[in-house]
Amino acid sequence: MSASINTMELDGESDYSSSDEDNSDYELQKAFEEGKLQAGLNYATPVPKTCINNKDGMKAKLTELKIDLKWVERMDSVNDPAPLAPELEAEGIVAEDEISAEDEFNRELRFYRQAQAAVLEGVPKLQKLSVPTRRPDDYFAQMVKSEDHMKKIRQKLLSKKVKMEMSEKAKKLRELRKFGKKVQVEVQQRRQKEKKQMLESVKKYRKGTTDNLDFLNGDVKGDNKATASQQQGRGNKKRDYKNKKFGFGGQKKRKKWNTADSSADQRGFKRSKSGEKGRVMVNMNKKRPGKIRRQKERNKK
Amino acid sequence: MAKRKRLHAAEKLQQKSAKIPKQEVKIKPVRHSDDPHQKKPKWINKQRVLIFSSRGISFRDRHLMSDLRTLLPHSKPDTKMDRKDKLLVVNEICEMKNCNKCIFFEAKKKKDLYMWVSSVPRGPSVKFLIENVHTMEELKMTGNCLKGSRPLLSFDKNFDTQPHYAIIKEIFIQTFSTPNHHPKSQPFVDHVLTFSILDNRIWFRNYQILEEDGSLAEIGPRFVLNPIRIFEGSFGGPTLFENPQYISPNQYRKQLKLSTADKYKNKQDAKTAHQLRHAKQGNTYKVNPTDDIFQTLPPEEAVGVEKKMFSRKRSLRKIGTVKRTP
Repeated sequence: MSASINTMELDGESDYSSSDEDNSDYELQKAFEEGKLQAGLNYATPVPKTCINNKDGMKAKLTELKIDLKWVERMDSVNDPAPLAPELEAEGIVAEDEISAEDEFNRELRFYRQAQAAVLEGVPKLQKLSVPTRRPDDYFAQMVKSEDHMKKIRQKLLSKKVKMEMSEKAKKLRELRKFGKKVQVEVQQRRQKEKKQMLESVKKYRKGTTDNLDFLNGDVKGDNKATASQQQGRGNKKRDYKNKKFGFGGQKKRKKWNTADSSADQRGFKRSKSGEKGRVMVNMNKKRPGKIRRQKERNKK
Repeated sequence: MAKRKRLHAAEKLQQKSAKIPKQEVKIKPVRHSDDPHQKKPKWINKQRVLIFSSRGISFRDRHLMSDLRTLLPHSKPDTKMDRKDKLLVVNEICEMKNCNKCIFFEAKKKKDLYMWVSSVPRGPSVKFLIENVHTMEELKMTGNCLKGSRPLLSFDKNFDTQPHYAIIKEIFIQTFSTPNHHPKSQPFVDHVLTFSILDNRIWFRNYQILEEDGSLAEIGPRFVLNPIRIFEGSFGGPTLFENPQYISPNQYRKQLKLSTADKYKNKQDAKTAHQLRHAKQGNTYKVNPTDDIFQTLPPEEAVGVEKKMFSRKRSLRKIGTVKRTP
């Protein structure tokens, strides 16, 4: 290669480019023969940008730039991020080197920790130099952010908090509702099962496989009642009353007929409430006073 | 009589000196004229920073600039500079304003913001591209500090690894740390400025010190500095460092545009290629060409010309019947 270039130089500048092209072609052909080149896999590599990095010059400039002053004048520090708080050492926190600029949480946490480290290092130093780090409570001065601005910030924080609480509440409610539905489904399933059992046992009794009649007044019924009462307690009172009064589910025919028992039943009867007759009866208990007495009464008035 | 007066005066002087608290420097009752004058050892570090911008700066960037002005009590403002002026003029402006550091915001195209930080008479100067600006006005920054209080400066460990970062660190220390006992500064230290390197950029944050055990609240502003170049002089001179990773916003936008243009081009190419391929193949589904031949209409359904196409021969049936008869 170097030899060929030499000859080219001897040839002169006029046919430099053409000979160079030939040369490169030849090289390519040779490479192709050797199998180094394959069709379709070749592309031009971009030439890396050459950037100036004059390290010695920078070091010299740095020494020139530096001012020899005490630390109090500069208050700088070089820190690693402070150790994580134990409660924060959970998953989701990425190691130092793996933090990407897009990952906001980890990035900000890293900066925050660096600032923390600076405070933990700097404040004791300042205290040693008797520089005040805490503002006394009665020291009032202009702040970077005005009172109005801070008020806005506070309001925003508050509204955010309220929003969070609301959403939390809604979440809880949703969960509860879900759970309630679950319970309801369970109850329904149980009832169906009980019904099935009951029917089966009735069938068995009919067929004569058993003559056990315990299932009629067994625990099953009691359970059923309890659940019904529970449901009543939970539900709409008006509806419950109407159900009680007019009936709900089951046969509607013949149910409301009077029977011999019901017509003989006088528990609901009250004399005072059942019309004129009753009132007459009440009056009849008092005897009408005699004529003279009545007149005397009149005279008194 | 005169003696008495003098005595009185002496007594009064004594009383006055007794009233002065102990902390103050006691002046000797007798002083020679050639004694050195005792000055109060105070404001030594006389850094003054000129903070201003070129014309055509966006509102957000202007707010960032004003935030920096409030954070640095040792700063001085100036009017916006004309865009046509050469950058070297800044040196003269600084000299006129008696400043030895300068933060100059250069706005371009009304959207790109560059920041020059320079040590004025002799350099060096650093040019940054500013990205991701959040000003102090934003409500998510909840902290607050005294106006003019001195900050603690915190630097990432990476600042000591490479010489260009070391230069940047030194120049930042000199511009961003408020000199001790500066007349406009407050005597308390209640906030931290952090500079950290991530993704080849310098990230700036400002935190309030809430408690001395290290609980903080961010005050703002936030910005990211992407170093472009370090020059030996102030606003010029030979280049000391050039950032190889830096892509100018113009180039970046061009790349974005190209990528979208490519997207359209690729789509079109794909379309034409698809058409060509399918024109060559003809049918995508293998069909027997003879299938169509026997697709004829029965004469009952034929309309118009189709009637002539096909007519059922009755003789065929007759033939059938003939065959059946033995």
